[in-house]
Amino acid sequence: MTRALGWLAALALVIGLGAAFGYAPREAVQGNVQRIMYLHVPAVLTAYLAFALVFAGSLGYLFTRRLGWDRLAVAAAEPGVLFTGLTIVSGSIWGKPTWGTWWTWDARLTSTAVLFLVYVGYLLLRGMVDEPDRRARYAAVVGILGAANIPIVHFSVKWWRALHQPSTILGPEPSPIAAPIALTLLVNWIAFTLLFLYFLARRAEIARLEESHAG
Amino acid sequence: MPDNWGYVFAAYGLAVIALGAYWRRLARRAKSLAGPGGSE
Amino acid sequence: MSAYLRRAWIVVWKDVLTERRSKESLNALLFFSVLLLFIFQFALGPERARVETALPGLLWLGFILAGVLGLGRSFLVEQENDCWEGLVLTPGDKSAIYLGKLAGNVLVMAVVEAALLVLFPVFFGLDLTGALPRLVVVLALGTLGLAAVGTLFGAITAQVRARELLFPVLLLPAQVPVLLGAVSATEIVLAGQPLAEAAQWLKLLAAADVVYLVVGLLTFEFVLEGA
Repeated sequence: MTRALGWLAALALVIGLGAAFGYAPREAVQGNVQRIMYLHVPAVLTAYLAFALVFAGSLGYLFTRRLGWDRLAVAAAEPGVLFTGLTIVSGSIWGKPTWGTWWTWDARLTSTAVLFLVYVGYLLLRGMVDEPDRRARYAAVVGILGAANIPIVHFSVKWWRALHQPSTILGPEPSPIAAPIALTLLVNWIAFTLLFLYFLARRAEIARLEESHAG
Repeated sequence: MPDNWGYVFAAYGLAVIALGAYWRRLARRAKSLAGPGGSE
Repeated sequence: MSAYLRRAWIVVWKDVLTERRSKESLNALLFFSVLLLFIFQFALGPERARVETALPGLLWLGFILAGVLGLGRSFLVEQENDCWEGLVLTPGDKSAIYLGKLAGNVLVMAVVEAALLVLFPVFFGLDLTGALPRLVVVLALGTLGLAAVGTLFGAITAQVRARELLFPVLLLPAQVPVLLGAVSATEIVLAGQPLAEAAQWLKLLAAADVVYLVVGLLTFEFVLEGA
């Protein structure tokens, strides 16, 4: 089952890669560097899915006290951090030729970076507690607060940017989006979601094995 | 605007390395856990 | 309800009494705030204009750093004095303990903030008296948010390894909205503008306070369970 999912994800990624480089046209304004978007946008969408699952797993654990929910939370958090990291790095690489700098305190870049730090903290906390039950409780509390915080972080950073630098910088997507570009984004988004689900399944299985070994 | 293929390949290359590294880490952990008397 | 509030009040009273007898945390925390002033001065150099432009950020940097130290200790004290079991075994709604601890922490933060607000004008030759009433509103909203998360995370990290390190690592990213909102609002207030100019930020701070408080009250019982 998991193995089939893995092959499906690999296939989708190959198709996505082919579409990103072969099918999608060279973007008129930004040139070929815009192709980084086919990595950047699916990565950030997948990361949000991951953190939504961390939230669901955290709530589920506190309500039911079943460790299965906690396994869902950790199995989503790890790839979530990975995909957030990819989002930041690919955004930064895209920013260098486009904005002329590796890093600007752009609203989206900044709030993604904050998200990254929050969930790295979540994983660090998990690493510091050994008993599965206690680890699950603490992590769930941090996971819930982290998720509740996402909209607050989003608005605070957005307003903060609007205050200090009126919109001189354009957002990452060119608008309006042409059909081939939208289709390529969609394919890559599906591919990333499949890959994430594959990681999720494997990581949850590892957590289950660890628990059965420990007790 | 120039094409900047270098940046594009750098971004995709890093993504492949990061995802591949995580995949290998998962595979290793699963293997070490399933090791003695593992079923797979 | 009144029993609930009384339980919260007992926690506050207990902490105030302990603190008054031992003077363990507050003295050191106040001393730390004075040290911060020196460090800010050395980092920025003698120019007054520099200090004035950086003032809102410096103030909140001071509050947050003092908060990281002070809030991190609030449950550690229970651990050190072997009172953790007592808290865990307390009958009834555990969120009353959270409320009490939070109130105590807000109190400690208020003392530190008052000290910094007296010392800043003295050391840097500024005049804050005109902006003070409006500044208090911003401080209250910001401090509540900081303390609400700090109290919750402090209770968690008091029971894990590498707690001194983990507490700021968890708290600081979560406090980005409070820091941004509080610094921006302070900037507006110190520029002599009325509170209405900062309404957007005050609303954000208030919303953040409500969210943190609700999460704290609802999840605290899971933190204070077993050992």
